[in-house]
Amino acid sequence: MAASVRYLLKPWTPSLCFVRWSRYNPYYLDPDPSKDAVPESELSPEQKELQELKTVRPIKAALSSDTSSPFNDPLMSKFINMMMEDGNKILARGIMTQTLETIKRRQVEKYHKSPAAKREEVECNPYAIFHQALENCKPIIGLASVQKGGKFYQVPVPLTDNRRRFLAMKWLITECRDNKHRRTHMYEKLSQELLAAFANEGNVVKRKQDLHKMAEANRAYAHYRWW
Amino acid sequence: MNLHKLASRLRPTVTQKFRHFHIQGSGQQLEAVVGETSSAEPSLLSVFRTSEQDPACHSERHTGQYYTIPPAHIQKLFPHGLPPRFQLQVKTFNEGCVMVRPPALELISYLKRVDYSKPPLRYILYGDTGSGKTLSLCHALHYCYTQGWLILHIPDAHLWVKNCKELLPSSSRPSRFDQPIQASQWLKNFKITNERFLSKVQLDRYVWTKRESTEEGRPLGELVDQGVNRMKSSSDVVGAVLRELRLQAGGATDGEGAFKLAVAVDGVNALWGKTTLKKEDKTMCEPEELTLIHNLRKMMKNDWSGGAILTALSQTGSLFKPRSAYLPNELLGEEGFDNMEPFVPVSVPNYSEKEFESCYLYYLDRNWLQHPHSRSEEGKKELIFLSNKNPSILERLCAFL
Repeated sequence: MAASVRYLLKPWTPSLCFVRWSRYNPYYLDPDPSKDAVPESELSPEQKELQELKTVRPIKAALSSDTSSPFNDPLMSKFINMMMEDGNKILARGIMTQTLETIKRRQVEKYHKSPAAKREEVECNPYAIFHQALENCKPIIGLASVQKGGKFYQVPVPLTDNRRRFLAMKWLITECRDNKHRRTHMYEKLSQELLAAFANEGNVVKRKQDLHKMAEANRAYAHYRWW
Repeated sequence: MNLHKLASRLRPTVTQKFRHFHIQGSGQQLEAVVGETSSAEPSLLSVFRTSEQDPACHSERHTGQYYTIPPAHIQKLFPHGLPPRFQLQVKTFNEGCVMVRPPALELISYLKRVDYSKPPLRYILYGDTGSGKTLSLCHALHYCYTQGWLILHIPDAHLWVKNCKELLPSSSRPSRFDQPIQASQWLKNFKITNERFLSKVQLDRYVWTKRESTEEGRPLGELVDQGVNRMKSSSDVVGAVLRELRLQAGGATDGEGAFKLAVAVDGVNALWGKTTLKKEDKTMCEPEELTLIHNLRKMMKNDWSGGAILTALSQTGSLFKPRSAYLPNELLGEEGFDNMEPFVPVSVPNYSEKEFESCYLYYLDRNWLQHPHSRSEEGKKELIFLSNKNPSILERLCAFL
């Protein structure tokens, strides 16, 4: 086993040389850019194993959009990559920062204008709002098209975490791109949708709830799933 | 504000008293100071707000501290004068706070000591992009307003040399061009700022068209209304207003007629640069051929008395100037420099350590820095590194953190 794995590790140079190759041997570990070093004694046995693995195994090259600063948020990076078109990361990141600023401005204004009793309830942190809104948009169960006896049925199916996160982000972005007024900026549309999703209102949450209802309605076909 | 009040503030046990001073000072705001001020650790001993609201009493003791401009003053004095991002900040924080910084204090101290029977001194605020020139100018203007001067504020001269939708040939002179929209907009804002001076009597007779003319001895308010209502002649009205004020500023003897004139122009390098406006035969317009610019240039000459000319350079809106240019020589060009000389240059640097500290604490107090890492020591060091203590870059960074 070790020999076959070692064979895959042989330095194989492709005829076309790419600058940054995104398909790695699964032997390679993901890089961890954060600076926090937890002391030895606080680690659980699995984490200690992971640390030892890191000293032995090769690690993939870090992406140029990841920083070692705690300001770096992997969920935010994923969302920015999904919003990006034609590789224009600068524009996508600019839109995201403007969105965060708009959300914060609205909430801080509300905070300063509300009486002292209500101030605790106003959430001003745009990152917390973004994370919570995304959570509120994630569907729990999805539908898959299964063919049985010549017909296709919509079968309720569990979703993996990655798929749920992907669906939530995709719905947010398509909602903002398609269903809003033509002349509004993307950051305005996004901030409105995010604030609505944070309060469990708005079109994206409605779409998630419609999906849940469809899955509930098609409950009878659940046994068509074989995986 | 006297010395022993300040000394009592700096004593570490007295954070409660400090809160009391702050609430007293900014009278109208009812917000309680949030618990973050107790986190202005006693070891730092930095006090970022001052209760001294009158710019005339600001001195070196108040450097780095924020003072609040009353909302009534903001509405009257700055209908168009504040930078757009600062206006957003005023709206978000529900208060308009400006930091007291050395360049503004320098300007105000000059304004206090000058002899106003002599021709006016020209002050030029220069510095790197985003270092606080416009806000220092606004601070000095607030001082002039509280002293009862007549304010002539052109918020950005660059707006008059570019992006003009309507460029009409002048009604009075054949080789000039008028900009009715910009002129009438400016006259409206001038009216809001200087309400109490509008009953001043004017001297000469002006003829606008065959049937319209303004007689001698009519109040200034009527002239301004004429410009706002009749868009066609608004640029000429601006010229007439400038001329009248120039003649009358030092002219009248002490008593009810006397007033001091503060001419404040931001982006003064636009007056001697190039324009992006085209004439009907598709050739470029010179700034000299625009009525508004021509009259403003006349205002910049120091052949009148009884006031001061406060200006600030600006690379951000300028045309055909490199991004790295910030010195008066580079931005004004030869012609501009010769026209403006002799002037008093006032340099506006980036924040010092103390000022940065103060700005950071202000944002913490206003609940603006939300990211948990930005509230820690390493986060602060990161902010210093990323912004190089430049006020506008720091503001833009903290906006999304």
